[in-house]
Amino acid sequence: MEELKIEKEIAEEISKTFHSAEVTVKREKRVVVKLRDDLITPFLSYAKNNMNFIHLAHISCVDWLEDNKFELIYSLLNYDNKVMILAKTYIDRENPEFVSHTNYWDQAETYEREMREMYGINFKGNKRLTEFILEDWQGIPPMRRDFDTVKFSQDTFYNRPGRENAQDVRTTVTKKSGEEIPEIGKDYTVRNL
Amino acid sequence: MREKETTLYLGPQHPGITGNMMVKLKVAGDTVVKAETHVGYLHRAFEKLMEQRTWMQSFPIVCRICVPEPDPNEENLARAVEEIEGREVPERAKYIRVMALELSRLAAYMLWMGGQSGGLGLYTAPQWSVGDRDYILDLFEELTGGRIYHMYIWAGGVRRDLPDGFKERVLKTMDYFESRLPEYDKLIFDNAIFKKRTIGIGVIDKEKALEWGVVGPPLRGCGIKHDVRIDEPYEIYDKLEFEVPTVEGGDIYARAMVRRREMEQSISMIRQVLDKMPGGPVYNKVPNPLNWYVPKGDAYVKTESARGEFGYYAVSDGSLKPRRVHVRGPAYVHGVSLLERILVGANISDVSPIMNSLGVCPPEIER
Repeated sequence: MEELKIEKEIAEEISKTFHSAEVTVKREKRVVVKLRDDLITPFLSYAKNNMNFIHLAHISCVDWLEDNKFELIYSLLNYDNKVMILAKTYIDRENPEFVSHTNYWDQAETYEREMREMYGINFKGNKRLTEFILEDWQGIPPMRRDFDTVKFSQDTFYNRPGRENAQDVRTTVTKKSGEEIPEIGKDYTVRNL
Repeated sequence: MREKETTLYLGPQHPGITGNMMVKLKVAGDTVVKAETHVGYLHRAFEKLMEQRTWMQSFPIVCRICVPEPDPNEENLARAVEEIEGREVPERAKYIRVMALELSRLAAYMLWMGGQSGGLGLYTAPQWSVGDRDYILDLFEELTGGRIYHMYIWAGGVRRDLPDGFKERVLKTMDYFESRLPEYDKLIFDNAIFKKRTIGIGVIDKEKALEWGVVGPPLRGCGIKHDVRIDEPYEIYDKLEFEVPTVEGGDIYARAMVRRREMEQSISMIRQVLDKMPGGPVYNKVPNPLNWYVPKGDAYVKTESARGEFGYYAVSDGSLKPRRVHVRGPAYVHGVSLLERILVGANISDVSPIMNSLGVCPPEIER
């Protein structure tokens, strides 16, 4: 496995510096680092300043409703060896709070603004957590898994008078044409999926 | 004497704006003092929609994230699914994918040329370039059935093989495009007015470009050679011969020249792809699309789109539907933090050319 040499060197350096980090070389040019939430800031700082991972490609959030956790993913790229690090951490889903990284990267501000709006995570230190995409949003943050989209659309929009709910296309079409849904198709109506 | 500051709302309905988006400008006289990007006019919650649909039902959604160039989205999602699953793709399908990607890059550059020069008052250019772009759309219509949204690339390969005689028609179109480039040079790139309005305008600091997250032609316009096709070759880009043009300067003209030279490279790449394309199937056997369980895992894949690095972070929890698909468009950074920064000090009339040159595409920002 000579071709993963650089990736392994990077992984080794990270595990030497951050003993509790769980480092895996996923494939060529991808290193995944799982960290405690309080180690993310030191790690990002170390990666940016000492290991030359200067490009912040994106910050993502995944809602793990069952575990009551949010997973935050920071992707960093090193322009010299083109290796990408995905730094992951879990934070609490109740009253989620995290540290802002706007002082490291300008573009972190936008990602944090969006995550505050879509997941309700409060990034301490970000001075511009203002409205971004949504306007006057009062309900629960819409990208959370427990946000009921069907209920939202039923409460917000209404069918035009004289029309019935035709969201389930397969059922509607078969009803209109007076045919039965074939046995195989029944499993795949929108409601069952 | 300090001039009085006024607020100017540019957009969302404005010919210079590259989509439905608003830039709130604080101006003193003709000069921008502060700029704020306001998005939200195009939010259709694609990422949320995908969480409620099967992986295959997500393909018609992702292509709508970028109107001028939908193929990188499809290719990214397909490759993310393939990476999570470890699915193999036939060699021929990879060649066809690259052909589709490069054709869509050409189409996107044609549209950009119209927007960039039209915004500067060269009204002939949009007529030409949008007209020429239609020849590519014709090819796409024949290949995929759709002119704008193709839904052609999917996990496991591409939907169908090339039609009879398609190769010849693509080559003929490429010959035509090549013959048109000198005419575009005369009309746009060597034009004195174009040069006067673009050289030294909207300059990105080379020292800071990497840290600010600049990608694609704006980064190469700073003289920094970075291209996903070379750094992390996907599909069959490692088998093609091409150059990554860079231009020093960091201004609108440098970015324009990068795109102009890349058009030549794209034409050459399409010819190489058609020349080297092997036979064989175009997709492997895949499960029933409505019963396609993707194993637990995640993947970050990226493509070099016409505007820069396009990334998809996809997470599967082992069910029928994606747990999360995060779309990282280049415009997300270019259109908000970078634009707000480099608009300061610009003249009001240069705001839309700067936006155009950065490739700001609002659907990518709000997905």
